Amino acid sequence: MNIKQLALIKKDIRSITSNKQVLMVMLMVPLALAIVLPSMIALVTVLVPDSTSDFQKLLEMLPVPAGEYNQEQMILGLMLNKIMPAFFLVIPVMASSVMAASSFVGEKEKHTLETLLYSPLSLKQLFQSKILAGFSVGMMVSYISFAAMMLVLEIEMFFLTGSVIMPDLSWLIIMLLIAPAISIVAIAVTVRGSAKAQTMEEAQQRAVFLIFPILALVIGQFTGIILVNAWLLLGLGIVLAVLDVLLMRGAARKFTYEKLLK
Amino acid sequence: MSAVLAEHLSKIYTGGNKAVDRISFRLEKGEIFGFLGPNGAGKTTTIKLLCGMLSPSGGSCRVFDIDPTKDPEKLHQMSGVLTEHAQMYDHLSGIDNLIFYGTLFGMNKSDCEKRAKDLLERLDLTDAQNRKLSAYSTGMRQRLSLARAMMHSPQILFLDEPTSGLDPESAQNVNTLIQELAESGTTIFLCTHQLRYAQEICTTYGLMNKGSLFATGNIEKLRSMVSDKVKVRVKASCIPKDMEFEKTGEQTDDISVNSEDEIPLIVKRIVEAGGDIYHVSEEQMSLEEIYFSLIDRNHGEMERGNL
Repeated sequence: MNIKQLALIKKDIRSITSNKQVLMVMLMVPLALAIVLPSMIALVTVLVPDSTSDFQKLLEMLPVPAGEYNQEQMILGLMLNKIMPAFFLVIPVMASSVMAASSFVGEKEKHTLETLLYSPLSLKQLFQSKILAGFSVGMMVSYISFAAMMLVLEIEMFFLTGSVIMPDLSWLIIMLLIAPAISIVAIAVTVRGSAKAQTMEEAQQRAVFLIFPILALVIGQFTGIILVNAWLLLGLGIVLAVLDVLLMRGAARKFTYEKLLK
Repeated sequence: MSAVLAEHLSKIYTGGNKAVDRISFRLEKGEIFGFLGPNGAGKTTTIKLLCGMLSPSGGSCRVFDIDPTKDPEKLHQMSGVLTEHAQMYDHLSGIDNLIFYGTLFGMNKSDCEKRAKDLLERLDLTDAQNRKLSAYSTGMRQRLSLARAMMHSPQILFLDEPTSGLDPESAQNVNTLIQELAESGTTIFLCTHQLRYAQEICTTYGLMNKGSLFATGNIEKLRSMVSDKVKVRVKASCIPKDMEFEKTGEQTDDISVNSEDEIPLIVKRIVEAGGDIYHVSEEQMSLEEIYFSLIDRNHGEMERGNL
């Protein structure tokens, strides 16, 4: 990493605020998934007591620690540590792929990519910088979203149930392994498609497919087929990390000045 | 070492479009090379080949002895490029754009600021330096792009239509700047349609048509390719009847001679025939006339070649 690359990364990160389309996605999706969705579940659980009966069957299937917790607290604990992790993974996927699409294809659309290509940065350095910018933003959005989600949820839980529920080991694995790994997968998939893509939307479309495994995790969780636990998440994280290496290897080599200028 | 050396350089795009067809030329340091030709002649493709953006389909090129395809980063560090599609960031101000590109070329922030301010002043953009690029007019953008290409004081500048969209005063200002750069040793590779401006500043020319470089050299060499004759404009009360001339105005005629040596003889004959002479001058073909004449001839040759 040299000063030239650092200048490009800083510029890319700063440019998010200038693109309303990108900024909206960066704000709306985390707001919906990290604040609105868990708050709604928390409020419905506590304020509409009948609704908790729907969770009863799910609770019976899951190894939720019984004992000192009442049913509401168990449901909220289930929501935080078993349901929200799968939803939360959409945030790094979305933030990284939007950023990657914006910094590769967005530059192409605005005719600023050609100017960058005339700089003394090699194509490899250019790619590294763009990937790092996407990754930094993906992680920044994910960590801020997590912090905001925890803050809002804990306050809500405290006022609604009189106690707080702490995140378990799953969240540590998600924040330190799965979120970074899935973020790199999303960037790699977006970047690999960016040479042919002419618009930002086109480049982002590929990353949308990453939502399907996440959806499978959510559905699996609700139907009881898959159970989100630390081991499953650790395994998933390792698979994603291997995928990162495979996807990144040769991604930069696929590009030439000629292909990028088309 | 030549500044630019192209040998049988060709580029055939996917689909078979031959954009550049075995062109060869050499530029020396400090030259202002006017690369002229109609749209689609292959001028921009040649710039992209020389900058390493495209790989040649045949032949080779070197810029300051660097092979653009093998070592593009090294070449980019010493070259500045201005093309229609090399734009800057709308959300940044003029000065911030220049500072950003300066940093990409390894300049430190204080050097970038100083250089950016000098260039903005030189290109009459000081008042607009803090305005976002989105508020710039086409002419202002063009001048800022030129400043961007010059930020890192490159040894060679590739300029594709640098005066396009500029008012005559700004165009004149840009041309003066280009001449000053060449005087300080910067080599300029200039693609333009504006032949009058090109004639003012270029030292050598290359004429392209349909991918072929059909004429190169300084203006005298190009003139000699069009005609060996010297045109003399005479304003006289009468011209001897046996003298061949072409009427261009009231009492003004053009007479073709083989060399300057024949001019005194013409004057003598007119005087001997009783004519009064008010004006005699050698009329040289402008670049525009040479260009159209050579382009027409090249079109004809190509058509004959296709038959």
